[in-house]
Amino acid sequence: MISNAISIMIAVPLVGAVLAFLTRSRGQARLVALIASLVPLALALQMYTEFDKSSKLMQFVESYNWVPSIGVRYTVGVDCISFPLVLLTAIVSVLVVIYAWGENHRPNQFFALLLLNEVGVLGVFTALDFFLFYIFWEIVLIPMFFLIGIWGGPRKDYSAIKFFIYTHVASLVMLLAIFAMYFTYRLPDGSRTFDMLTLLQATSDKTVFPPGLINAIFAGLLFGFLVKMPAFPFHTWLPDAHVEAPTAGSVVLAALLLKMGGYGIFRVILPMLPHVDKAFVTVIAVIGVLSIIYGAFLALAQKDIKKLVAYSSISHMGFVTLGAVAFTWLSIQGAMFQQFSHGIITCALFMSAGTIQHSVGTRIISELGGLADRMPKFASLMLAAFLASLGLPGMSGFVAEFMVLTGSYATFPVYTMLVVFTSVGVTAGYHLWACQKVLFGPILKKYLDIHDPHAYEILAMSAIVFLTLLFGLQPALITDIMGTAAHQVMEPVVTLSQMGVI
Amino acid sequence: MDLGHYAPLGAEALLTAVSLLVVLVGLFTKGRSSLPGYLSLAALIVAMWMVLTAETGTVFFYDSLRVDGFSQFFKAVFVLVSLLVVIASLTRYNGRPGGDEYFALLLMATVGMMVVASAIDLVSLFIGFELASLSTYAMAGFDKTKKNLEAAMKYFLYGAASSAFMLFGFSMLYGMTGSTKIADIAGASLAAFNPAILIALIFVVVGFAFKMALVPFHMWAPDTYEGAPALVSALLAAGSKKMGFAAAFRVILIALLALKLEWYMAFAILAAVTMTVGNLVACWQNNVRRILAYSSIAQAGYISIAFVVLGVASEGMTGPNNLPLDQYALAGGLLLVLGHAIMKTGAFISTAQVASIAKNSEDPDDISNYAGLGRRAPVTAFCMTIFMFALAGIPPTAGYFGKFVVFGSAIYGGLVWLAVLAILNSALSLYYYLRIISYMYLREPAGPKISESKGYVLSLLLALIGTFWIGVLPDGFFNWAMQAAAALLP
Repeated sequence: MISNAISIMIAVPLVGAVLAFLTRSRGQARLVALIASLVPLALALQMYTEFDKSSKLMQFVESYNWVPSIGVRYTVGVDCISFPLVLLTAIVSVLVVIYAWGENHRPNQFFALLLLNEVGVLGVFTALDFFLFYIFWEIVLIPMFFLIGIWGGPRKDYSAIKFFIYTHVASLVMLLAIFAMYFTYRLPDGSRTFDMLTLLQATSDKTVFPPGLINAIFAGLLFGFLVKMPAFPFHTWLPDAHVEAPTAGSVVLAALLLKMGGYGIFRVILPMLPHVDKAFVTVIAVIGVLSIIYGAFLALAQKDIKKLVAYSSISHMGFVTLGAVAFTWLSIQGAMFQQFSHGIITCALFMSAGTIQHSVGTRIISELGGLADRMPKFASLMLAAFLASLGLPGMSGFVAEFMVLTGSYATFPVYTMLVVFTSVGVTAGYHLWACQKVLFGPILKKYLDIHDPHAYEILAMSAIVFLTLLFGLQPALITDIMGTAAHQVMEPVVTLSQMGVI
Repeated sequence: MDLGHYAPLGAEALLTAVSLLVVLVGLFTKGRSSLPGYLSLAALIVAMWMVLTAETGTVFFYDSLRVDGFSQFFKAVFVLVSLLVVIASLTRYNGRPGGDEYFALLLMATVGMMVVASAIDLVSLFIGFELASLSTYAMAGFDKTKKNLEAAMKYFLYGAASSAFMLFGFSMLYGMTGSTKIADIAGASLAAFNPAILIALIFVVVGFAFKMALVPFHMWAPDTYEGAPALVSALLAAGSKKMGFAAAFRVILIALLALKLEWYMAFAILAAVTMTVGNLVACWQNNVRRILAYSSIAQAGYISIAFVVLGVASEGMTGPNNLPLDQYALAGGLLLVLGHAIMKTGAFISTAQVASIAKNSEDPDDISNYAGLGRRAPVTAFCMTIFMFALAGIPPTAGYFGKFVVFGSAIYGGLVWLAVLAILNSALSLYYYLRIISYMYLREPAGPKISESKGYVLSLLLALIGTFWIGVLPDGFFNWAMQAAAALLP
């Protein structure tokens, strides 16, 4: 294996972003973007072959002194928690570049920003030093701000600024919590550290972190992550951002940025869970359940297909919250798989919405109808994506949600049944209703001259549908890793009942 | 006389000599030569080298000036700001009638600021202050437009008032302790507490607070920064304002050590009010230079947190890695000073670029002139964007790292409320910085594409490199600031 694989993975898109920015034509820009995003994918696949799925340790670790005077190191590495997300980022980034192949409004900036986004997200998933983690966490906001603001819809100014400020404030709350850990804990030699694993380990020490402090730190971090996910009631920035963002932006936002919040839950929140007030468990579970149900009902009420998809994201990310906090081996594994699976499926959903917008000129469901007649290839892909999203067995979404629900039942029987009986039906309902209304029925007269979208859009969507099926039929390809990760998280305490929560 | 002994003051001597030379050149060429600008540029580059390599720890002129790590740090900041301003000024003022005077005044102002950085005596401090102030009063009205003159007038009146306050405070200190040496005053005030010292202190703080533009002594700053030529505003906001901090750190810290408790609370309130008012008012502005002015007021509030921490830091309190807390806080303040100087200079030079192309406009700094700047002036817009993000404290930039150290020192010092308030303020400030960015990139262009002036671009790129350099590789700068802080602390 190439040494410094992770650093190269982060550096190549960064250099690519600069180069893409300097290009003069669309052809050059997209070629640079494609190459620069293929390199991390190749590295990630290479890492996959060498990754030890049974190890609970960090792998491919690199660590250098960065700002020694205040205890900051450049440390990156992946373990079973983060590796699937690195893989997801690498895959999605390539597909987004392919999907956006035809972008002709300031293409050099567009592709540069997509690459910069990849840099930030990869950094978040691999950083093992809170200082570094926070830097990447914030860098991500900048390309997304411009993607929404420059290529967005009619209310782009408002949405871009709202997105930035809302999520930045959440990040600052998270930063305060990080500060609190950093300033409270000292290494045995008296110095301070930002090392994530050391600090998280230290939070179990009741003499260093008294209960009041640890609860405050926990709440701060949790807030930062829940806003990013986004969970009810902190979700209000999301629909605005999604609706106004260009398709590629929406895809990156839903497939990667939301995953940062989920990743924070697994990386930071779960290891601290045994040491904080037990009431948090219930609060988080309720937030998860409400996100699932409320998101589904909101999606049901939408007239715009993109808004529908946006709200469905809130619902699907609720499974991550619920599964994580149910804290059984199966539920954690399911929640992690849901992160991965939703990351893929949502690409296809937003690409569907985007393609409809590009081809037909509107996303209002009531103004659409019978598109399958003129766009057969697209229609089959969109149908597959929507079926995957509603949880059709055989596709990855089903496996993930099934695992979460089965695993959570042991901990939260009432909540789980509530989710099963309300949201599952509603979810199926709005997905099928939207597909039926948009794709089937008689074709409307005004749409007689539309046709299947460009080959690159079909290519990107097909790849995603293929992955959805692949991971639906052979989930072990990636759930092996998550199983180890779940063990790793639960190792200190085996279940919630042993923690004294239930 | 052994001239070699005075070598550490070489930078000041050189700049003084060149400023006089520049006037002579102007006299003989009737102001048409482009020599003054290039002479000033060369002098500043050499001065920078001299400042950085000067031997430290020496005292001059009967204990009135001291070259130590602290003065070196501030001098480097001042020379750097002047350097950036001179590079940008080459196209605007060089070879024009009056250009020689402009550069001579600029060098004089720089010398004044450098004297303040070195002063350990109230008299030399005051002389430096006035040298810098008088030069910049003249520069503020340099273009002689109506706005210029108004700005210069306001700046002059407020500046004179602040000098008067300061001088009155000084005279009281002299009267009570019998010395103008800062170290003697420190000794006397430690030996016996005298309530009159408190009154002297208030006058001195008010005098400095005017210069630092702390609320409620900030009124002049937005009007002056808006009305003065943009390049001069850069010098005022990034340079002469920092001079206030150089003086305040030295005088308040050393001379009034005995009154720690009193002034810590005063500065806590000043800092809290300054950053909040600065940020809130900035949200309402439509003139970019006024936004920058209020943002610079807010930044002064952040820097003032260092004073507060110095007030609460007692013996044995430590920051990270067992660094003494007072030194850590002061280093943070210095880093913010350095970072802010670079970012603000860059931001004001960007406004100068925009103003130079905003033709047929009543108000060249109105935010509407920034619409679509990303396409009309790509380099300026890009640099401006980075400066805005950096000022807002987005990593990895100078703004983030400085704030990190200062806010962190507040937490160490037990002033969590102040740190939280500062962080919330940072979030608030993002709104108006983003507003400028959103005009530059999210709006349709307000005019045709323009060619960007080479001097401005060079100076902007230098500032850009500085902004990232401090943010990405902060360790060297941090250690430098720590040494500077160590030189000042008892």
